[in-house]
Amino acid sequence: MAVPAAELGTRAGLNGRAVGLRRLLGPDYRMGYLFVAPIAFFVLSLVGYPFCYAIYLSMTHKLVGLPPVFVGFENYIRLTGDGFFQRAVVNSFVFTFGSVGCKLVLGVVMALVLSSHIRWRSFWTGVLLIPWVAPTVVSALNFLWIFDGSLGVLNYLLVRVLHVLPQGVGWLSEPGTAMASVVAVNVWRGFPFFGISFLAGMKAIPAELYEAAAVDGAGALPRFRHVTVPGLKNIMIIVVLLSTIWTFNDFQIVYILTKGGPGGTTMVMPVLTYETAFGAQRLGEAIAVALYLLPALAVTIMVLARYMRKGRKR
Amino acid sequence: MSRGGRLQGALGYAVLGGLGLVVLFPFYWMTITSFKSEDQMRSLVSMFWPRPFATENYRQLLARTDFASWYRNSVVVAVSSTLLATAVGTIGAYALARLRFLGRGFMASATLITYLVPPSILFIPLYAQMRNLGLANSLGGLIAAYPSFTVPFVTWLLMGYFESIPEELEEAAMIDGATRFGAFYRIVLPLSAPGVLAAALYAFTQAWNEFLYALVFITDGRLRTLPVGLASFITGDVYGWGSLMSGAVLTTLPVIAAYIYLQKYMVEGLTAGGVKG
Amino acid sequence: MPQRLRGLAELLDAHVISRREFLRRTALITGSTAAGLHVLGRMAQAQGGPKLRVWLFKSYVTAGNDILARQVETWARERRVQLEVDWATFGDREQKFVAAIEAGNPPDLAEMNYQGPLRYRPALRDVTTLAREIAGARGGLLPYADRVMQLNGQYFGIARQAFGGGLHIRKDLVAEKGLKMPKVYDPDVIDVAKKCQDPSKDLWGFGQTLNRCDDGNGFMQNILWDYGGSAWDKDGKPALATTYLRQNTEALQFAVDTIQKHKVQPPGVMSWTDPSNNEAYMAGKLVCTNNGASLYYAMVAKKHALADKTQVLLTPGGPAGSFVFAGTYNWGIFKQTKHADLCEDLVRWVEDEKRFEEYMKASIGQAGAVYRSRAEHPYWKTDPNFEGMLQNVMRSVWPGYPGPITPAAIEVQAQYVLCDMAGRVVVGGLSPEAALKEAHKRIEDIHRIRSRG
Repeated sequence: MAVPAAELGTRAGLNGRAVGLRRLLGPDYRMGYLFVAPIAFFVLSLVGYPFCYAIYLSMTHKLVGLPPVFVGFENYIRLTGDGFFQRAVVNSFVFTFGSVGCKLVLGVVMALVLSSHIRWRSFWTGVLLIPWVAPTVVSALNFLWIFDGSLGVLNYLLVRVLHVLPQGVGWLSEPGTAMASVVAVNVWRGFPFFGISFLAGMKAIPAELYEAAAVDGAGALPRFRHVTVPGLKNIMIIVVLLSTIWTFNDFQIVYILTKGGPGGTTMVMPVLTYETAFGAQRLGEAIAVALYLLPALAVTIMVLARYMRKGRKR
Repeated sequence: MSRGGRLQGALGYAVLGGLGLVVLFPFYWMTITSFKSEDQMRSLVSMFWPRPFATENYRQLLARTDFASWYRNSVVVAVSSTLLATAVGTIGAYALARLRFLGRGFMASATLITYLVPPSILFIPLYAQMRNLGLANSLGGLIAAYPSFTVPFVTWLLMGYFESIPEELEEAAMIDGATRFGAFYRIVLPLSAPGVLAAALYAFTQAWNEFLYALVFITDGRLRTLPVGLASFITGDVYGWGSLMSGAVLTTLPVIAAYIYLQKYMVEGLTAGGVKG
Repeated sequence: MPQRLRGLAELLDAHVISRREFLRRTALITGSTAAGLHVLGRMAQAQGGPKLRVWLFKSYVTAGNDILARQVETWARERRVQLEVDWATFGDREQKFVAAIEAGNPPDLAEMNYQGPLRYRPALRDVTTLAREIAGARGGLLPYADRVMQLNGQYFGIARQAFGGGLHIRKDLVAEKGLKMPKVYDPDVIDVAKKCQDPSKDLWGFGQTLNRCDDGNGFMQNILWDYGGSAWDKDGKPALATTYLRQNTEALQFAVDTIQKHKVQPPGVMSWTDPSNNEAYMAGKLVCTNNGASLYYAMVAKKHALADKTQVLLTPGGPAGSFVFAGTYNWGIFKQTKHADLCEDLVRWVEDEKRFEEYMKASIGQAGAVYRSRAEHPYWKTDPNFEGMLQNVMRSVWPGYPGPITPAAIEVQAQYVLCDMAGRVVVGGLSPEAALKEAHKRIEDIHRIRSRG
């Protein structure tokens, strides 16, 4: 191997330079750079460069089949005053916070139940994780079929079996239910990740803390509030931030279920990006839609990355 | 106390049962739909159990659509990008977790941040990138693009794994005359096999399930991957539900099978990689 | 090479190319045989000649799709061309074209919808000569199709067909109640719908989505015209909330009323896409619905019980008359192709009258005429329902009417601006007037951007 040969370096001149470099670049720099080079290549070529190119394109008029024309911030300014875009921003926040909130609650419930004394724990864990591993497109298509206004099983159950509704509901087509329905599907898919992460976090809370609380006569609820929640705080922050980023940028569920309809009620920013690019064929403006909230995204990512690295270092 | 415990236990099972039902019902529904004929679906008969079982959907799917090609494409893309990501991610993670060199902290952060950058802001420029490389509308384009999320993920997950292996093991090996690489190859790698397996499985699942890039990069109907192919049924023919659901069953099977078989590793991997702390 | 000559001779026989053209090409082929042997060598190396990528449009008429695909494949065999056929369809064609053009790898030849010629113009070849040639041999293009295929006398598409269709209505239910067939939407259709429907049995009077899809787009466009309005004035300037504000408000109000006031539309109609009303009608849940003939086709082809109980009527109208939107499908040849002559040859081949006849007959009314001679084909007299379908096609008008057809008018269609407008009233709770003003702003934006070039 080249690495040990250099490390052992017999010739004096080479040795002196190698020592200098090692002092500057660290003792393992050769193997380190060699091993990290592929990652650096992928990160730069697949994320770094496209990202910079995106910023440039967002400042152009780019019609399909024609070269881009630089226009500065015009796209961003136009979007700011555009009602369609404004509603998409609001919808994105409703979709994201509604979903993440529900996932948080369900995740805690799931973790609590799975950490209590139950039989076949790993079986139940396995079952509840299925939505997380199953292809999202399949799940979204399943729900599209379940929600179908005339042939869907949800209406069938509610109208003909349980008789709780006089007639079927167009779940994805009525303003009152469309957003709730897409949120439900996102929650269905995402809550297992919350649950399993919290479960792992709970296992890490020392049992003595619970015992001490029990000795102090604390009931189940106070134990949860004063032992479980503080113990899970870091994980909760990480999971919530992570899920916020993912949910905010979730494309497939909304795209497949409603494509942003009816009448833009569920139009979220990733779908609007796609629509602007491939429906309106204005690529520059489409990227401006995607990048509009970049500062907020960047802050979230920075905070989250700090927590995730801190979590590791402990 | 014991009565309260039993009550709590009953409540626990009730909650589990409820969640289990909600989680499993769509899959049950997908499966039985795939065995229903058009008439059964349209006239809302034999709702919860197909009578008789119809296999025409599967036959239609394989005979009249490009499903078989899509399957092949998905396998090619997911397997190649998984191998690529696992190889690159494993050595990279080792370097970032263990080796001391200038810029390590920066690279670790950069990798993590890359993992967090969402595809929805990258898909258009990345598409332009693939066009410049002559990889637009080809499986090669997807194989080249998927590392954008699988590599950072695998790296991040395995960094955690490697950090959890005591450094003394390698030091001992190196005192015994092993090189740094030898210590990595003979000591660390075998010990983290479960982690590497979990990382590879996740990378595979992510690549198998990926939708947005595949939707945008591929224009040729036969070059689609499964998720995009399946979704194309809802824009296509009248009454596609039977074929669609049979395709959905076949698409879900490998993921669920791998998952059932290797559940332990994947659950561990998930908790080790996504979050730990 | 003799193969290619034979192919040309056949074209000549079929009167697809003129004798002079035949001589020119023969000279070309033989000339090249003598002059450039290496070209031949290269072609031989390519295992059976040049490669051609062709995109066809997948309609709901599956038998038609199959026939067209077979014809194209036969052509490729005859001409020794390596063929790569791919399909685009209702939900994905825009994305497909945009992505391919942007990536610099569009197909050589594509079957496009009415939006194609103006929308993808920067990437398309001028096909004026061929378009004139084909139209000339068929009694000329019908005026509506002519308007959609060209811009200032330059053709970017060669017309093939327009989807016939109309109001599919359950004649058994109408007869049961002793009602007359509707002619206008208000009050005829509403009246029939109200009297025939039975929501308790999940039977609804009228199924017409206003959602973002071809069906919703077509209806919204037609209803504006039916009430004397339009999104454009006579000079091609935006007029949605200006010149025609009053008419458009009435039209939009009516569209919304079908759902909210008259309650003749089924639940979920606002999330329908193009196949949804087909499904609902065939499931016996609708009294009537506007659709392309694909719905009638599906019932006839599947020997569906409702086929005999269905009548296809002229699309109903409003106070200003009855208008139908022209949706001409056409062939576009992309600039980048290295085989423009092969593309033209293929277009001549599939538009050959015998081959088109085979396709038309399998399409059960959907393959509406774009050329005069095709409109006079006896086929249109073979089924009473065809009369309405053909009439609908013949009297259809172009996007942009009463002004000229413009790239901006196409763009407004392509972006579903009118559907979004209806959605804003039904779902967003806006007043029709406010929704019109909002949509007007979008149209002005599009007008501004597209007039720049």
